[in-house]
Amino acid sequence: MKGTILVIDDSAMMRKIVLRTLKTAGVEYEQVLEAGDGNEALVLLRANQVALIMCDINMPVMTGLDLLLKIKEEKLAVGVPIVMVTTEGSEQHVRQAILAGARGYIRKPFTVEHIVNNVKPLLAA
Amino acid sequence: MSESMLTHKPYGSQEFLSTQNRDHADEAVVEVFSMMLGFEIGPVPDTDSGQHPGEPNDRTAIVGFSGSMRGTCEVRMTSLAARSIASAMLGGTPVEEGDDAIDDAIGELCNMLAGGWKNRVPTLSSDCSLSPPTVISGADYKVHMRQPSMKLSRIYQFDVHTLYLTLHREDLGAA
Repeated sequence: MKGTILVIDDSAMMRKIVLRTLKTAGVEYEQVLEAGDGNEALVLLRANQVALIMCDINMPVMTGLDLLLKIKEEKLAVGVPIVMVTTEGSEQHVRQAILAGARGYIRKPFTVEHIVNNVKPLLAA
Repeated sequence: MSESMLTHKPYGSQEFLSTQNRDHADEAVVEVFSMMLGFEIGPVPDTDSGQHPGEPNDRTAIVGFSGSMRGTCEVRMTSLAARSIASAMLGGTPVEEGDDAIDDAIGELCNMLAGGWKNRVPTLSSDCSLSPPTVISGADYKVHMRQPSMKLSRIYQFDVHTLYLTLHREDLGAA
């Protein structure tokens, strides 16, 4: 993959960690966009074609699950893989995320191997 | 009666105070520190001894629980320990005192510890939600609960630093 990655998390620290782990995992990208909440993410998605979205669930303004539904409704990122990166690790949360359109789910804390196993197959498809 | 009592099976006080729950907390701490920070960490043997001398533990992060358990997860440490955590999260980049990254780091740490603990408790995993973290600077504060609460306190040692973890559980059955 050589495109743009959008990382959505209210923690700037976590956005940096996600990007660093993607790089270590060998996920190549040309540009990075960062959003601190769902509204910022929607603005960026309306103006940019992205190749991968990494999204937190517990965020202010709107949750990651609500954001997924908005992205789906507005067809802002048709076919773009969305991977949830969150502390919420229950089966129920995973199911909700997949139903709302997520293609992958990574629970915090995570390792490079989690990124390799959950993100790389989506980019190769 | 609150909405949460109608829709969720409350997490019992016996379960909360059990040895198994203490182990869940320890496992969550070890997992987060080893996977995200690269630190070895372990509980301090005299875990309920209370005061420890030295630098004040003036950095605190708190995450709230709601749903089948109402309460908080609180982590406390010195500013130096908080800087060390922020630096580790940034892959070893030094962090100066006053950098926003410090509060961000301990907020995320608390979030992951709270999530890691509750995901290990089947009753809470899907029926308990986490609030965004709140970070407090300063040692002179008190957390007030709306209802009587019980707490589980643990002390851990990593590198040369000490981390204090407290899980508070409100009694949902109280008037």
